[in-house]
Amino acid sequence: MDGSGWLILRGLCRGLHLAGYFSAFGTMALATTLPRGARVPGLRRMAWGGFALALLAGAAWFWLQTAYFAAAQTSADVVNALPIVAEYTRFGLLLLGRMAALLLAALAFQLAWARVAALLALGGVLAEAWLGHGGAMAGPEGAMLLSSAVLHLAGAAIWLGALPALALALRHLPGAEAAVLARRFSPIGAACVAVLLGTAALQFLLLVGGVGALFTTAYGALAGLKLLLLGGLITLAARNKFRLTPRLPGSRAALIRAVALEAALGLVVLLAAGVLLQLEPPAMAGMAGM
Amino acid sequence: MPVRHRFVSAALGGLILLSPAAAFAHAFLKTAEPGVGAVVAQAPSQLLLTYTEGLEVRFCTVTVQGPDGAAVQAGKPQAVAGHENEMTVPVHITAPGKYTVTWHALSVDTHKTEGRFSFTISP
Repeated sequence: MDGSGWLILRGLCRGLHLAGYFSAFGTMALATTLPRGARVPGLRRMAWGGFALALLAGAAWFWLQTAYFAAAQTSADVVNALPIVAEYTRFGLLLLGRMAALLLAALAFQLAWARVAALLALGGVLAEAWLGHGGAMAGPEGAMLLSSAVLHLAGAAIWLGALPALALALRHLPGAEAAVLARRFSPIGAACVAVLLGTAALQFLLLVGGVGALFTTAYGALAGLKLLLLGGLITLAARNKFRLTPRLPGSRAALIRAVALEAALGLVVLLAAGVLLQLEPPAMAGMAGM
Repeated sequence: MPVRHRFVSAALGGLILLSPAAAFAHAFLKTAEPGVGAVVAQAPSQLLLTYTEGLEVRFCTVTVQGPDGAAVQAGKPQAVAGHENEMTVPVHITAPGKYTVTWHALSVDTHKTEGRFSFTISP
């Protein structure tokens, strides 16, 4: 299970797991910003849906990653290695711990404790950073990459994770409340974009190394694609912020469509990120062999 | 220069200064005892391998081949308490000559790397 096909499959499972996790967290976080007294039917179902996606994609990722760790040839090899991965590797401990945190968050959300739920889920979102390059590296570069990954995850989860719930809320809330919610979300989204751009620049310097690598390595090409998609997302978000949100409630239908499109594009970005995290960054190419 | 421009310039300058030419985003061998290419008089009872990243030692493998091609490692790699980027490998070396170490490492960020080096025992 060391081939490039398996690598892409592991990455896609990781991306889907992140999408489910972000969506569950984002739904809980958005619920804390609803206008007082506002009720949006379907928010709890959406949070549980995110949990289910995170769980299923996480289970598939766990299986595939275990097979990769153990260089498994058969399903029996994977089954034998699963307990070792669960108990003794950072990957296993973090994945299981994060899913437990999301389960607790979903239960708290079910009990209408939205703030507690959002905080618990946020912890699980941020813990993912310790599975990235920065979490494994020592020294100032490791600390910088880890800090940047924490901020990057927070920005992505708050912005992209809340989009499905935002579309749902815009659809169900009365016009005035929908307008209040959209105006509240607008500066939060802008702050997330700023954080994402800043951390992406740092990660580009540390992991890609230079513009040339964008055209000569698989990691660089995928990082370039992710940046392009992020550019598309920001364009959509800017249109929502500066054109559609000020015209609410008249522009509600157009805004719902735009937010749904933004969420779909966000999913593609997360899938690309999942695969990117499986690849070797070009800034350290040439170190292998000794 | 306006204060805002100075701040942006300082931030960018700091970022460039802080960024190394290469970040070690997978586990690569940093040092070894005996060292890479070293000639030592006394045969070690174990090898100590230090990497650029934390290791999942249970999924790391190391083989050590003697001058006759026979494997001389005497057990699986062991974690070093308090040093997640190190592992030791017990060896049973009885003859002088060139020994080749082939390692496969799994880092805590789930990536695999591999490499090879040699050292020589020359009493």
